[in-house]
Amino acid sequence: MVYFINDIITGALIGLLYALVAMGFVVIYRASKVFNFAQGELVIIGGFIVWFTTMQAGLSLWLSIPLSLVLAGLVGYAIERTFLTKLIGESVFSMVMVTVGLLILLRGLVLLVFGPAVRPFPIIFPLKPLFVGDMLIPMNLLIGGIITIVAAVGLSWFFNRTRSGLRMTAVAEDHVVASSMGISVKGSIAFAWVLGAILSTIGAMIFLSGKSLTFLASDIGFAALPVALFAGLESIGGLILAGVIIGVAQSLTTNYLDPLIGGSLGSVVPYIIMLAILLIRPTGLFGWRTIERV
Amino acid sequence: MDPSGIFSTSYRSDRRVVRTRWQALALVVFMALMLAAPYLVSGRIIAILNMMLISAVIAVGLQICTGYAGQINLGQAAFMGVGAYTASILASKTGLTFLLTIPLAGISAALFGFLFGLTAARIKGFYLALTTIAAQFIFHFAVLNLPSSWMGGSNGITVPPAELLGLRFVGETSQFYLNLAVAAIMIAGAFGIVRSRFGRAFVAVRDDDVAAGIMGINVAATKANAFLIGAFYAGVGGALWAYLIRFVGVDQFTLFHSIFFVAMIIVGGMGSIVGALVGVFVIRIIQEIIATVGPNIAESVSFLGGDIVFAGMNVVLGGVIAMFMILEPKGLMHRWNILKSSYRIWPFPY
Repeated sequence: MVYFINDIITGALIGLLYALVAMGFVVIYRASKVFNFAQGELVIIGGFIVWFTTMQAGLSLWLSIPLSLVLAGLVGYAIERTFLTKLIGESVFSMVMVTVGLLILLRGLVLLVFGPAVRPFPIIFPLKPLFVGDMLIPMNLLIGGIITIVAAVGLSWFFNRTRSGLRMTAVAEDHVVASSMGISVKGSIAFAWVLGAILSTIGAMIFLSGKSLTFLASDIGFAALPVALFAGLESIGGLILAGVIIGVAQSLTTNYLDPLIGGSLGSVVPYIIMLAILLIRPTGLFGWRTIERV
Repeated sequence: MDPSGIFSTSYRSDRRVVRTRWQALALVVFMALMLAAPYLVSGRIIAILNMMLISAVIAVGLQICTGYAGQINLGQAAFMGVGAYTASILASKTGLTFLLTIPLAGISAALFGFLFGLTAARIKGFYLALTTIAAQFIFHFAVLNLPSSWMGGSNGITVPPAELLGLRFVGETSQFYLNLAVAAIMIAGAFGIVRSRFGRAFVAVRDDDVAAGIMGINVAATKANAFLIGAFYAGVGGALWAYLIRFVGVDQFTLFHSIFFVAMIIVGGMGSIVGALVGVFVIRIIQEIIATVGPNIAESVSFLGGDIVFAGMNVVLGGVIAMFMILEPKGLMHRWNILKSSYRIWPFPY
């Protein structure tokens, strides 16, 4: 029983990590209507920036973490300026296609610049797990979960309650209408990418803390994708619930079903849940129901 | 795209594929050159042409699904994989002739694609594109986790050569004719599909699915059909691939391969069958150059090792996709059409 509860808690915390990475998708979608397929690559770029500032440049953690976040924001800004600003006014289809191109472009660049070598990642969160009775909770995931919840509440408030957040929401509704209302579409998209890159870097820190870093870590982007869709692409608060559900389902499948069938069903369970929920509720749990006009 | 002043005067002439005598001549010359290719060029080039023909079948399918029907499809390599696995299992276990396994491979891939297209009844827009990524992951999972006596697991399957009336299709040249024949049939079929009622429904759904629905088109069925047809082409291409490589493994059908096919139709031009062929030609040449040059560079920059080809391919093709979307979103075919129509009305500006 203790193991069962422990699996649920660990699963929920991993789900919250997925939710944090998924927040990158949602923030970019909420402020620009672009679905960013290259989210996993942003995570890995964030990971390499953290690795570079700590292990390579030898800065202390207190200095390197803020510096990494700033650098990641700059990378996000640079990507947005190079590729997406030029497409404002084109169809959303083109923008999404560009992010598909970015997915393989960034993957290749990371591989070219850093190579396939496995690198040690700095220990950002204490390695020693937290013991509650007989249960054992990984410290990095616990702190990560708290960061996720704080970030979700904060960003949710920002997008739903503040003036500048609502402006970005208008951009996500329609680029042309938003810009004719005097809202800067450019500014909104730039902000989204900076925020998306920063969130991805935080995700990388939690995910990789004390582990090893290779370019393959970007697969977490695809693990987070079902969470974003499950919650509905527009809802930041809903990510927490969606992340917890998917994380727990995955953890239970991995621990109890996989030994029985001898496969790794756990890795596709999020996708199966995603397909099921899309068929039942196409907009996800908390997504917007939009009314379409011709 | 005809220049102004040139009109079709009947429905038949509007539907015509070959519109001018010069086009007919070009088609005949092109086909003759293709048939004579094994006698004209070296074996290395025939090998490249084989890859191009197979990619052409798959890219044309993707063109119908994405270029005509407007459904982003990032699972084309998975559909190709389903076809390749079907063909190789049928060929190695039951010994069926390729005349049956190739269509059956297409059908099984089409069913797999249709499954994801069916979600179109409920899901719209990008959500639909994302289910195709799910297709990619579920395909990988199924191959690696089903009992290895079924699909070979991570070891892959070895495929016996295609055989017809005692004639074995081994070696690049005989396979070239097999690929050429299948590709010609499939491409001719694609021209038929896009000119038909279905093709016009695809274009209507792509341009505005709500408006298309109001005009009486069954939007969900049309989208599902688009996936069905796209996946059928991918399955046939996958079967040809299986017979060419004689070995299928799950690593040959990743998300990256799907994106390479997307790159082909973006470079060639969305919404044009010939554009897909142009794109296949350009992208395959680029891939060939990287695969040839890559190892030489790898010797001087040793820390990358064998990954340089994969990395270089991703950087170049990702860059090509982004560059084309920004600079020439309608692709090379659009550029060529502009050139052609300005040539036809020369010396007048329009």
